[in-house]
Amino acid sequence: MAVGEVGTRRRRQPRTPYLLIAPAALAMLAFLVYPVGSVVYYSLQHYNVAKPWEDGFAGLDNFRRMLFEDPLFWQSLGFTVRWVVVEVSLQLVLGLALALIVNETFVGRAVARALVFSPWAVSGVLTTGIWVLLYNPTTGLSRYLADLGLMEYGAAPLANPDTVFAAAVLAELWRGVPFFAILLLADLQSIPRDLYEAASVDGASRLRRFVHVTLPHLKDAIILSTLLRAVWEFNNVDLLYTLTGGGPAHQTTTLPLYVASTAVQSQDFGYGSALTTAGFLILTFFSVAYLRLSKFGART
Amino acid sequence: MATRLAPRRWFRTVAALAMASCLALAGCGGDSDSEDGITTITFWDDNGGPARTPVWEHIIAEFERENPTIRVEYVGVPIAQAQQKYDTAIAGGGLPDVGGVSTAMLANLAARQALEPVDERIANSSLDGVLSEQVLESVRATVPDDKLYLVPLSTNMGVFWYRTDWFASAGIEPPTSWDEFFTSIERLTEAGQNRYGYTIRGGAGSIAQLLEVLYGQSGIEEVFDDDGDATVNDPRNVEALERITALYGKFTPEADVTNDYVKMVAQFDGGNIGIMQHNLGSYTDHAETLGADKVAAMTVPPAEDGNRTVTSHPVTGLGVFAEGDKKDAAFAFAEFAAGKEMNRYWSEQTGVLPANTDVGDLGELTHIAEATRVLNDPGTELVQLPYYLPEFNAITKTEAEPKFQQVLLGELSEKDFLDEMAGKLTDAQAAYTERTGS
Repeated sequence: MAVGEVGTRRRRQPRTPYLLIAPAALAMLAFLVYPVGSVVYYSLQHYNVAKPWEDGFAGLDNFRRMLFEDPLFWQSLGFTVRWVVVEVSLQLVLGLALALIVNETFVGRAVARALVFSPWAVSGVLTTGIWVLLYNPTTGLSRYLADLGLMEYGAAPLANPDTVFAAAVLAELWRGVPFFAILLLADLQSIPRDLYEAASVDGASRLRRFVHVTLPHLKDAIILSTLLRAVWEFNNVDLLYTLTGGGPAHQTTTLPLYVASTAVQSQDFGYGSALTTAGFLILTFFSVAYLRLSKFGART
Repeated sequence: MATRLAPRRWFRTVAALAMASCLALAGCGGDSDSEDGITTITFWDDNGGPARTPVWEHIIAEFERENPTIRVEYVGVPIAQAQQKYDTAIAGGGLPDVGGVSTAMLANLAARQALEPVDERIANSSLDGVLSEQVLESVRATVPDDKLYLVPLSTNMGVFWYRTDWFASAGIEPPTSWDEFFTSIERLTEAGQNRYGYTIRGGAGSIAQLLEVLYGQSGIEEVFDDDGDATVNDPRNVEALERITALYGKFTPEADVTNDYVKMVAQFDGGNIGIMQHNLGSYTDHAETLGADKVAAMTVPPAEDGNRTVTSHPVTGLGVFAEGDKKDAAFAFAEFAAGKEMNRYWSEQTGVLPANTDVGDLGELTHIAEATRVLNDPGTELVQLPYYLPEFNAITKTEAEPKFQQVLLGELSEKDFLDEMAGKLTDAQAAYTERTGS
């Protein structure tokens, strides 16, 4: 009897783990593998819903067009890189500074923390709504400054090629800085106090303690948060689409925005899929290279 | 103590539960014809929002009152997402029974056989003989097979909305020529007081309005000449564009380069603009915000040769979708909406030109009476924009809109901009001619 029970258990045991992971595996197949595979498939097709008679297998035509015949691909990719580098760098520096400040003990710290984190709770489209109103020359800040005689009427930061990048960066900073502040503050609070005390006893200045104690401890959090944020900023559509629409004259068109206008507006889903595949490959390569080069998870 | 099921029983139980769930779900999502004899049709409004939704709610209520066996489920789709929503539904299923369709999107929908031709249904309905022939012709011209793929409700016309109080205080009359038009803009501008004579639509939707002021000034009557070459880069159009772009930043706000409809109206209704180009459809917004006594519409002035050329505007209507299984009820709704009473209500509420000729005079809406007079004037030439070209949206929106912004910013010359657009339109026209033989 006992031998039989053991035999039954042995026969059943291998199935159980598969059953347990099946829901997650099925979800990944349905929501990750299938969509990605579908986009790759369409990137090899001519698929323009406005011209269904031209649909069919394209081979690498879409990629050839993207790499050699489409200056807007390179322009949007270049802007995307600039956008990611500027946004992530500024968000990291400002987020770290804010995290250090609200990590200190002072009166009103709870309120200060709530204020610092609050923009993160605002949706992207709502963020845009706030900044569009602020930048609007008819209803925004410049109108009131002009009413006070401090500047001329009609200043439109989002319409001026000289100011549109800075204006968009500022709006996104407002939303993105709290992300870093939250993550880094959590990690700051896990640094043992005796490390700082020992450094102080050894005569280390505030700057040396930051460089030799705080930063090494935050390394993995910084690597992970900058990677996540870089991917998000690369794929940023909601804020830029609603704030500038990629304009004026494509000056703020990121690769995902270009995908949106190609696929959604021009209805060229084949070429849009090729652009998306390119973005996917770039991000995959970047993520792997960044984690390897930064030695994420390695002991310091 | 829990009872353990044998593997075979376990699978049987799961299979039975799955089948029961499927049957239950099928019961929830199946044909809307219920046992009480009510047919439910889904209607997508392609311009859903605070202005249009109440109008449709009224029409639907009236329809359901007269047709108690049909219920209409209203779905409001913002105009900017309508095309995308239809595209997604065509690809993945889930099209409505009836939906708002304009001739701007008709060529694409018809090419994918998403819509049912309604010629026969109209011929056998109360709409036979009462719909404007001009409107019907515009709808037929959008597709290669000359069929009607929508029941037309209304059409539109480009006008210049202007502030009557600004003109009065400046002591000038509304312009009747293009020279007077530009002089008025200069006279109305007081940049130091945040008042500009004119606003240019430089953002989304800019090109259709731009073509109107180009062909209006040049007097050219066709978008393609006899050889199939686009006329958009004719030297007279280039000169007309130079006059418009010269206004930018001096007699218009700097923000105009990214102006879409919402921003443009916000400036005009906010009291910063003297003249704004749009169509008859924005009357309600202006009248509600500024007051009907402070705003009026003037039609496109005649060109130097005395001819008045106005560009065609999309015809708005209702399409019956081919995959639906309640086409009779769907058409009944479209027929009711295009009937005399509802079409009059629609035109009064939205300020557009009715497709039903029985609607007649619209009383106090003088801008509609004036637009009708101009359209029916033998001296007016209607420039038909080629909505039938499948590339038209891509050329005039995705490609040309950012280029026009470059022109306004001084990064691209007017001639180069129009040459490029003309080249693409000519190529698209040639491909269309080759494909359809028409």
